[in-house]
Amino acid sequence: MKSLELVNIRKEYGDAVAVDDMNMTIRKGELVSLLGPSGCGKTTTLRMVAGFVAPSAGSVLIDGRDVTHRPPYERNTALVFQSYALFPHMSVAQNVAFGLEMRRMPRAEREAKSLEALRRVRLDHLAERYPRQLSGGQQQRVALARGLVLNPDVFLLDEPLSNLDAKLRAEVRSEIRGLQQALELTTLMVTHDQEEALTMSDGLVLMAGGRVRQSGSAQDLYERPADAFVADFVGRSNVLEGRVEGGSFRMKDGTALPGTAVPTARYYTLRPEKIALTSPDQGVPGTLREVLYLGAQTEYTVLLGTTPVTVIRATPGPDDTLARLRPGDPVGLRWNSADARLLDS
Amino acid sequence: MRLTSLIYRGTIVIAYTVMLLPVLLLVVTSFFRDAIIAFPPTGLSLEWYRNALTRDEFLSGFLVSVKVAAIATAIGVPTGTAAAMALVRSRLRFKAAITTFLLGPIIVPGIVAGIALYLSYLAVQNRLDMDIVGTLPGLIAAHVLLTIPWTVRVVISGLQGLDRSVEEAALNLGARPRAVFLRVTLPMMRPAIVAAAMFSFIQSFENLELTLLLVGPGMSTLPIAMMNYLEFQVDPTLAAVATLQIAVIAAMMLITDRYVKLSRIV
Amino acid sequence: MAKLVLPAGLLVLALLGVPMLLMLRYSFNSFDPLYLMKEAFTFGNYARAVVDPYYQKILLTTVAVALASTLLTTLLAYGPAYWLARMEGRWKSKLTILTMFPLLVGGVVRSAGYMALLSSDGLINATLRGLGLITVPLQLLYTPGAVVFATVGIVLPYMILTLASVIESIPRQVEDAAANLGARPGTAFIRVLMPLSLPGVLAGSTLVFILCMNAYATPLLLGGPQFQMMAPAVYDQFARASNWPFGAALAFLLLVVTVALTTLGSSVIARRYKAG
Repeated sequence: MKSLELVNIRKEYGDAVAVDDMNMTIRKGELVSLLGPSGCGKTTTLRMVAGFVAPSAGSVLIDGRDVTHRPPYERNTALVFQSYALFPHMSVAQNVAFGLEMRRMPRAEREAKSLEALRRVRLDHLAERYPRQLSGGQQQRVALARGLVLNPDVFLLDEPLSNLDAKLRAEVRSEIRGLQQALELTTLMVTHDQEEALTMSDGLVLMAGGRVRQSGSAQDLYERPADAFVADFVGRSNVLEGRVEGGSFRMKDGTALPGTAVPTARYYTLRPEKIALTSPDQGVPGTLREVLYLGAQTEYTVLLGTTPVTVIRATPGPDDTLARLRPGDPVGLRWNSADARLLDS
Repeated sequence: MRLTSLIYRGTIVIAYTVMLLPVLLLVVTSFFRDAIIAFPPTGLSLEWYRNALTRDEFLSGFLVSVKVAAIATAIGVPTGTAAAMALVRSRLRFKAAITTFLLGPIIVPGIVAGIALYLSYLAVQNRLDMDIVGTLPGLIAAHVLLTIPWTVRVVISGLQGLDRSVEEAALNLGARPRAVFLRVTLPMMRPAIVAAAMFSFIQSFENLELTLLLVGPGMSTLPIAMMNYLEFQVDPTLAAVATLQIAVIAAMMLITDRYVKLSRIV
Repeated sequence: MAKLVLPAGLLVLALLGVPMLLMLRYSFNSFDPLYLMKEAFTFGNYARAVVDPYYQKILLTTVAVALASTLLTTLLAYGPAYWLARMEGRWKSKLTILTMFPLLVGGVVRSAGYMALLSSDGLINATLRGLGLITVPLQLLYTPGAVVFATVGIVLPYMILTLASVIESIPRQVEDAAANLGARPGTAFIRVLMPLSLPGVLAGSTLVFILCMNAYATPLLLGGPQFQMMAPAVYDQFARASNWPFGAALAFLLLVVTVALTTLGSSVIARRYKAG
């Protein structure tokens, strides 16, 4: 396995900048997720690594070797397409053997290798089927095997779970991660789904508007977001606007919140699960507006002044005082001031 | 509600009757014994098929039609496919105008195009002192005007439905552009190309208007031979010829349908 | 890659573009009984084609038959097109092939079939006589009605297939939504399905109109000797009268009227579509 490096990568389409001066490194055997809303430049970045899009500036290095100007077929990357892009006129075995054939491997050897790759994804019994005869999940695994069999320098996944139903998604998620770790594949995954990114990756890169907003581990992005956008995009967050004034953070509607750690802060961010619901005299007073029962958890919307704040708690038992709360009741909110993050931007 | 459903069902029955009844009628009357088609027949006979097969104009017309259609298809399908690929895939300028131009032979009435060709053939003939009107090459050249636009039309719509990421996958797996074309693009275009070939062949085989002025003695197509015969009468001999032609077309459709689902193309 | 357009482009240019220009040039020449054609630059042929009441009548008949056939075809094609578009499974492909089949059999053969249906000894007259409804056969063949009837039958498959492919692309939920909001099937058809399928009507009726304007075999075989339409009339100028300049002018007139009417019709329907 090889490392992947992007150095000052930039891509412009006419006047529009799709990717703006991007830097990123994936170490050997690591899975890094490129996360962001649609149109943020993550797919363009992936296509530049695969060689389908030529960067306007900057370079792509695989194992320290500059491949920026190599065509796709001279880079040893394996891309699993969002639509899987299986060859409809070839059997499963022929699909998997295609890359080996292009590398001029003798027939007997490539048949053995393909079968081994299919065995890895538990599809060796369907080798003679055609893609249209397979379910979505099976097609996905064929696409994985087709890439794996090449022992690629870099494995590329484009929204690998987006075409699967919710139940299958969890299963395939751990299957991909398992294969990636077992084979120590250097992997770049593109996704817009933050849960997917948080659970599968060694590292995350969050993009927006063609720029990297923050990169680091899942914990880094969740616990220590660099700005309000990151706080809002990764996990759920209350992002409250205002400024530090006379010993507290004052929101636009005038409500004061405890904490002045960053004197220049314009945003006060707080995770919903870090907030406790108490009686009105024991915390910041507010009014309960809505209660949403989610099963194991319950979500409360509380108005502080005129600003709605989301609180998520474990669903209270029948005897709990929380269970008797109704919309309109006065409540208090309390949190550890270390859990609140004050951000400049 | 009841009226709506009555109109709906009614139009379906009327439309398919109007479309299919004449074809069915010809097949049935070809077995009538009487020399003048009349209902009900006094008896049945296969006599007219023998008559049809011994009449030289139909046999030679059939052979000319098959030759013209086959060669015009062999010219029109590769050139039309190449043009369709360029129109869908390349960064050609004035794509819309070029597409309209290539589909032009469908838009220009066949009789008008046929006359224009007739005049041009005569002009060239006078200069080069060689026959073009009434020759096989002359007919083939004219029918290329049918096979090119039909191929362009069918292949363009086939290409537009093609998932580009499949070709990208081949590139990503190490296939060079040439291998991508031969191993992935071309096989995926196969249904469209087969359909284009079938449509081209049949459009050429059954054409009348474009061909009218371009035939000559001993070099006539089957539709024109039938048309000349028909100006006097519909008789069971003609019905027998028509039935044979219908059988050929039906066989072609069924064979084509085994390889590509025709219903997915139109 | 762009060069791939050349072989087909050059063939069409040589076999259609250049010949059309040559014909255009000829249409300005003058007719000479001795030499057939004399180099000239006159609008006389066009003037005659437009002013001569004989050709006026032929052109009007042609346009009237084409318009009537196109209208009837459109009305008749909606039901079958919807049926075909919304059908599923094995039968759909069978019905598609059945719809395509007459198209591929060809106009001459089918015109002969309509003759066998409409002639005085034909199926319709024989049936009516057998039922005792008539004693003298009805004159069905060699009437303008026969021409329109056969033309509609011949172009129907084009219209059905074109409309069906457009209706197929309209999500079924849109109709369900109309029904859910209280629209009866007839209302849902007029208010929802028809406006959404107008592009199909446009494509289909343009194609059908061109085919009708161009019809040669049908008017000749089913209209009888008294009935005159443009395509046979133009052909006669070359095959019998040998008046090339006038024939060329008539051919161009046919082309221009066809293109002008299809463009006019398209823009009217397109404007309706935008407004609706």
